[in-house]
Amino acid sequence: MTAETGDRVTITIDGREHAAEPGALLIKAAEEAGTYIPRFCWHPRMKPVGMCRMCLVEVETPRGRMLTTACTMPVAEGLVVDTKSAVVEKAQEGVLEFLLINHPLDCPVCDKGGECPLQDQTMSYGPGESRFVEEKRHYEKPIPISDLVLLDRERCILCARCTRFSDEISGDPLIEFKDRGNLTQVITFPDEAFSSYFSGNTVEICPVGALTAKPYRFRARPWDLEAVESVSMVDSFGSRVSVQASQNEVLRINGVDNDPTNQGWLSDKDRFVFEAINSEHRLTTPLVKENGEFREAQWSEALELIAERLGSVRGDEVAGLGGARSTNEEAFAFGKFLRTVVVTPHLDAQLDDGLDPRFLAGTVARATVSDLEEAATILVWAADLKEELPVLYLRVRRAATELGASVVVVHPRRTGLDDVAAVKLTYRPGDGADLLGSLRSKRRARAEVTAARAALKDGPVVAIVGRTSAAERPGLAEAVAAFARDLPGAKILPVARRANVFGALDMGLSPELLPGRVPAASAQGRSALEEAWGPIPEPGGRSATPILEGLRDGAVSSLVLLGCDPARDHPRPILARQALENAGFVVALDLFLSDTAQLADVVLPLEGFAETEGTVTNLEGRVQKVNRIIPGPGRSRPAWSVLGDLSRRMGGDLGAPSAEVLMEEIATVAPAYRGLSWDRLEWGDGREGLVVPTGDGEQPLQHVPDAAALDGAGDGWALHAGRVLYDDGVLTRMSPSLAALAPRAAAYLGPADAGKVGVEAGEEVILRGPYGAVALPVGIDPTLAGGTVYVPANLPATAALGAPSHVEIERLEGGGS
Amino acid sequence: MTADTLAGWSAANRRRAEAMLAAYPDRRSAVMPLLYLAAMEHGHITEDAMREVAALTGMTPAQVQSVASFYTMYKRDGVGRYLISVCTSISCFLLGSDALLAAVEEETGTAGGESSDDGLFSVEHVECIGACGGAPALQVNYELVEGVAPDKGAALCRWLRDAGPEIVLSDEMQQLFGGRRSFDWAIREHEGAVAPVPAFAPYGSSGEEGA
Repeated sequence: MTAETGDRVTITIDGREHAAEPGALLIKAAEEAGTYIPRFCWHPRMKPVGMCRMCLVEVETPRGRMLTTACTMPVAEGLVVDTKSAVVEKAQEGVLEFLLINHPLDCPVCDKGGECPLQDQTMSYGPGESRFVEEKRHYEKPIPISDLVLLDRERCILCARCTRFSDEISGDPLIEFKDRGNLTQVITFPDEAFSSYFSGNTVEICPVGALTAKPYRFRARPWDLEAVESVSMVDSFGSRVSVQASQNEVLRINGVDNDPTNQGWLSDKDRFVFEAINSEHRLTTPLVKENGEFREAQWSEALELIAERLGSVRGDEVAGLGGARSTNEEAFAFGKFLRTVVVTPHLDAQLDDGLDPRFLAGTVARATVSDLEEAATILVWAADLKEELPVLYLRVRRAATELGASVVVVHPRRTGLDDVAAVKLTYRPGDGADLLGSLRSKRRARAEVTAARAALKDGPVVAIVGRTSAAERPGLAEAVAAFARDLPGAKILPVARRANVFGALDMGLSPELLPGRVPAASAQGRSALEEAWGPIPEPGGRSATPILEGLRDGAVSSLVLLGCDPARDHPRPILARQALENAGFVVALDLFLSDTAQLADVVLPLEGFAETEGTVTNLEGRVQKVNRIIPGPGRSRPAWSVLGDLSRRMGGDLGAPSAEVLMEEIATVAPAYRGLSWDRLEWGDGREGLVVPTGDGEQPLQHVPDAAALDGAGDGWALHAGRVLYDDGVLTRMSPSLAALAPRAAAYLGPADAGKVGVEAGEEVILRGPYGAVALPVGIDPTLAGGTVYVPANLPATAALGAPSHVEIERLEGGGS
Repeated sequence: MTADTLAGWSAANRRRAEAMLAAYPDRRSAVMPLLYLAAMEHGHITEDAMREVAALTGMTPAQVQSVASFYTMYKRDGVGRYLISVCTSISCFLLGSDALLAAVEEETGTAGGESSDDGLFSVEHVECIGACGGAPALQVNYELVEGVAPDKGAALCRWLRDAGPEIVLSDEMQQLFGGRRSFDWAIREHEGAVAPVPAFAPYGSSGEEGA
C-alpha cells in the first residue's frame, strides 16, 4: 500500500509469503493479504480486546506451534501463521459451540438473520449440531435501553463491541458489562438510558441481533433490501451512507467506512432521518393559493402561473433564497435560472445564520478533515460540534484521545468536547474580540488563557472556526481565522452546518460568488462565465437579510425559494414573516409545507435525499456522489427538472436534460470543479470523494481572513442561541423517532446570574429581544459565562426569539431585571 | 464537586474520600477504594452510592456499576451484622462443606445466600478462601475459621447471636469453634489478623484513622 516496501516485514500465512506493515495486527495484515480470519469482537476502527476468541490461529514460536488470537498479535519479521490447520478448525468449532450455548437461535424472528456474522460464521466454521441439552440462559427480551435502541441479552455473545464503541469512540459509556461469569450482561445503569447521539452505531456493529433499532425493527429482511451508496444530507460533514430500501420505501441507513470522512460512523440523526423521507406530510402535488387557501394543481398550471408572475416584473425585483439543502446540480441550476432566465443579482444560499460566503468557499490555507489526524493542536472556536456536526466531533475526539492532539475549545458554555479538551475557554458572547486580543498578546492573563497560548504554539494547528451560535456576529469567526493563520503550520476549517451549504456557495448562490469559487467582482471570471451563459447581472446584489428587507419595503417584489425556510431559520423571524407576507409573489420549491411554504403563493413538490441523483460538497470541499434508490412521492420532481421546465416557459433555456449534463456544465464553467464527473466519483479516483479544486481545477477566489473591527456594543444579556441536534428542524420534526428526543426549551442562566435576576430553576421569565419575545422556564447552567443567557435555538418554544445578540430578561411576576 | 456529591456522608468518610482521590494522578483510579468507602457509608453499595462514586471519579454510573458488580465482595444488597462465608470449593466440599453450610443456614434461618429476618446474619457460599489445609473453612466478616464441623458451625452462630461481639476475631473463633488449621505447624504470632495493616489505613477498616 505504501511505497516504503523497505520498511515492511515478510510473514508466512498458510504457507505463502506476504509483505506486511510491521506492528500491524495479524488479523488485519492477513485480510490485506487475502486471508479472512473469522472474528466477532475485533473491529478495524476500535482497539483489540481478544474477547470472543473466534480469530484463533496457529503461530510458530520457539516453543512450538501455539494458538493465539490474531486480533491481538502484532506481526513481525518471519512470523509463520496457519489459519486453516486441523487444530485451528477444532478451536474455531469449540469457540462457536461455546458462543452458541446460550444463544437462543431465534434467527427466524431476528432482525439480524441473513446478515448475521454469528449465523454466517457458524455455517462456515461451526459445529453442525449442538451437544448442549441443558436450559439456556433467560432474560426478559427485548428491553429498551434508550428511545431508539432495544437490547436482547439472550442473543448477546459479549463481544464488547457496543461498550467499547461508546467508551472509545463516542465518549459516552452509558452501557457496560454488569456482573460476571455466566451472569455477565450488557446493560445501562438502572435510571440512565443509553441516550447517546451515536447509539445507532452500536446496532450496526453488533455481530448478533442483541441490539436492534426501533425504527428498523421488524420492517424488512436483509435479503429484501436494495442498497445504494450515498452521502448523508443531515449536515455538511458529508458522512458516507448506505441507503437501503424495499418496495420503494427507505427502511434503513447504515454507515459506510469512508476513511477521509466518517470512518464508518454516523450520528443517530444521519441514521434515522429516513423516517422523514417516508413521511405522510411530504408534498406530493403542486399547490396554488387561491383566496388564502391552497388547492392542488397540475404542474403545467402551476409553472405557467409562476412564469407569468415572474415574467411580469423586472428581473431585479425578483430574489432567490435557498439551495443549501439541494445537490450541487440543483443549486447550479437554481443559480443559472436566477442569473440568466430571471436575470437578478439577488440570491443567497445562507440565511444570515452562517459566515461570509467568500470565507466559507475560498479561505486560504483551508484544512481538510484528514488534517486532524496530523494536527498537534486543534483549536475549536465554533458551535458545539457534538450538537451541530456530530461526526466531525467524533473525528476531533479521535484526534484527541487516539492521536495525541491537544484540543483548545473556546465557547460560551460547555461543549461535547470539553472532557477531551486540554484547555477550555469560556467567554461571554460579544467579548470574543477581547479574548482573541488576550490570546494574541503576551501580557499576564488568567491561567486558561496562558495555557491556551502555550498549547497553540505547538504546530501543526488546525483551527475549526464557525459561529458559536447565530446570535454571535459572523465577523468573529473570521477574526479567529485571521488569528489562527499566524499559528505554526496553521490550517483553517471554516464550518457551517446546513447540508450542502458549501456546495451551494461553490455553485455561486451568493451575490459575492459565481460558480466554481469565482469572486462576483472579478471581471475575468464574469466574462468567462458570460461566454458560456450570455450576459449576467452586474454584481452587488442583495444577500439574505437585504432581500427580506427589500420584500418588506417593496424594493423586491417576488421571491423564489429552493428548500429554504426563512420563517424558521433566519435569525430575525419577524422580518422573515413580514417579508413573506408583504411579497407580491412567493414560490416555494420544497419537500414539506414548511412555515415559509405556507406563506407562499405557489408550492412545488420536490424529490429529495435518496430520490434524486447528484453531487454534494462537504465542509472541507470534498465532492461526493449522492444516489437515488426510490422515486419521490406522488408527482414530486427533482429541482433541476422543475427549473428547466420553468425556464423554457419563461423563454430561457437551462440546457439541462439531466442532472449529469448539469455536472458536465459545472465541470466546464466552474473553475474549482474542472475535471469532475459522476463517472470519476463513482468508478474512478473519486470513490472517497474529491476535495476541489483537484489538479485539473483552480480556485480564483483566495480569501484572506480579515480581522474586521468587531464592536461589543449591546445592552442587556448576551444571548447564546446554540443549536441542539434534535431541534425543530423539518427533518427531525418529520421523523417521529427523532422528534420525540427534542430537549425541553429553557432559558439557561449561571447560578449567580439567576440570583441577580431573582429567579430559580423552573420559574418562568420573558426574554425580549429586537426580533421577538418568548416566555420560558429558567434553567441553571453553571458552565455559562457571566452575563450570558443560553436559549437552545429553533425549538418550538424558542423559535420566536430569533437570534439577536442581546436580550432583556423579565420576571413574570413582580420585579424586572 | 466532592463537597456537593458527598453532602450526606459522615465527616470522616468525606475526608477519606478526598484522600483517596488525591492519591491517584487520574481520578478514575480511585473507583475501587471509593466503592468500598461508599459501602461503609451506606451499609452496602446502593444505586446512590454508585452515582456518587461516578460523580467523584468522572466515570458514568454504568461504568461504576460494571466494577461494583464484578467483585463479589462489593455487596449490592444489605448484609447482616455478621456475614458468614462458607467455602464450597473442592477441598472443603470433599471434607463436608455441604453439611456445614446446611447447618449454618438452619441455625441462622437463612436459605441460599439470604439474610436472616432479624438482620443479624447473612450467609453466602464462596469459592476458595485459601484454607484448603484446614478444610472445611468459613469466614465471619472475612475473619477465617478453619476445620469447622457442622455442629461447631451451628454453635458458632449461636455464640454470635448470644454474645453479639462488636468485633469478631479469627483467633478467638478458631479457639472456640475451629479444628485443625492449615498452618498449625508454622508461624504463631498474631500479627496481621489483629494488628493494623498499614495498607488498609485509608479504608479505616483496621482500627487506624485514614490519612
